[in-house]
Amino acid sequence: MTPDRSIITRISATISRVENLTALYALLAIIVVVLGLVSLPFIAYHDDQLYEKTLDPASALHPYDRGGVPFGTTPVKSQYPENSPYAGYVTAYLTPFSQWLADTTHHMGTTIVAHPGGIIDEILYNTRGLDTVVETSILFVAFAIASYLFRRDS
Amino acid sequence: MFNLPTTNIGGPEVFVLEFGDIVAYFSPYTAALFVFALIFTALVIVSRPERQVDIAFGGDAYYTKEVDPNLLRFQRFMAIACGLATLGAVMTGDVFNFTLFASMVGITNIGIVAAYRNRHVLNAAFQYGIVAMLATVPLFGGAAIVLAGTGTLSMWELFGGAMAVPLIAKAFLVLGVMGEGMAPFYIAKAEITRAQGAPFILMVHVSSLLLFLRVTEIVISM
Repeated sequence: MTPDRSIITRISATISRVENLTALYALLAIIVVVLGLVSLPFIAYHDDQLYEKTLDPASALHPYDRGGVPFGTTPVKSQYPENSPYAGYVTAYLTPFSQWLADTTHHMGTTIVAHPGGIIDEILYNTRGLDTVVETSILFVAFAIASYLFRRDS
Repeated sequence: MFNLPTTNIGGPEVFVLEFGDIVAYFSPYTAALFVFALIFTALVIVSRPERQVDIAFGGDAYYTKEVDPNLLRFQRFMAIACGLATLGAVMTGDVFNFTLFASMVGITNIGIVAAYRNRHVLNAAFQYGIVAMLATVPLFGGAAIVLAGTGTLSMWELFGGAMAVPLIAKAFLVLGVMGEGMAPFYIAKAEITRAQGAPFILMVHVSSLLLFLRVTEIVISM
């Protein structure tokens, strides 16, 4: 590096190299994170949460105990209740197999893996259904890229 | 009951679509972005790829670069997916939903350029991919801080200044979108545009530009 280059020339020469892109972004991220750490004491946790979560370490289902009564009507908080008239109807999400299990045996309430249930699934499937759709789309796109690259040479 | 405050930068809402708690909407501003993205997605669907010609310096010789049909099909698919993600990002009315669409734009952008065999293009795409992966942390972190600080994610509640959104959440959102869409980092893009296949490559630029315009509106309105 010649000594007579100006500081602007040197900065622009550095950031014009694509290899420095990650470092540049990391520098920006570090600056913002440091600002965030400084401002952390001034951020208060809002007590009235729309999507509340409670942890009960004593529960046998911990940490999967998300609240709610199996096969009962569970009240679900939602931003716009008039848009989700069926919120809280957890039983409505039973799969056919789970329905059959519930009809023929008494063991359905003991499993949490065979059927969607609980308060978080209620939020995901009903009041925030579009999020579920987009998340699945992201996974699908990622699989499509990976499979194309993997099978390209065969 | 849905009344965006008039202080909203985009003006009054003209169309509302309810998905439970996620209430998508058009203001004149986002409607303009939506129409632009829609037109470009339609162009990507119907257009044929450009055919690049390299001219040998100092002579009459030239050679054309061949277009691989499989690559073309995959790129078109990725460009359409990118367009759909952009459409969702400009019309959604929920912060977390917006971050999901933004990360989908980032992944599809990588998908558009990842299949090339050109070394320079792949090098740039690799750096871009690392930044896009890195950017999900501030992106979703911003949405999480918005939720923790205000108790809600709906833009209908957050816009207008009634809720005190922490400044760091806004900074995280902008930083995340910068990483996903690469709006200010055009170094990687200059390398990427060496790749052939003009309408699909340009989708990378259009999506990141629209994404950045949208996050600007969100951050200013909150």
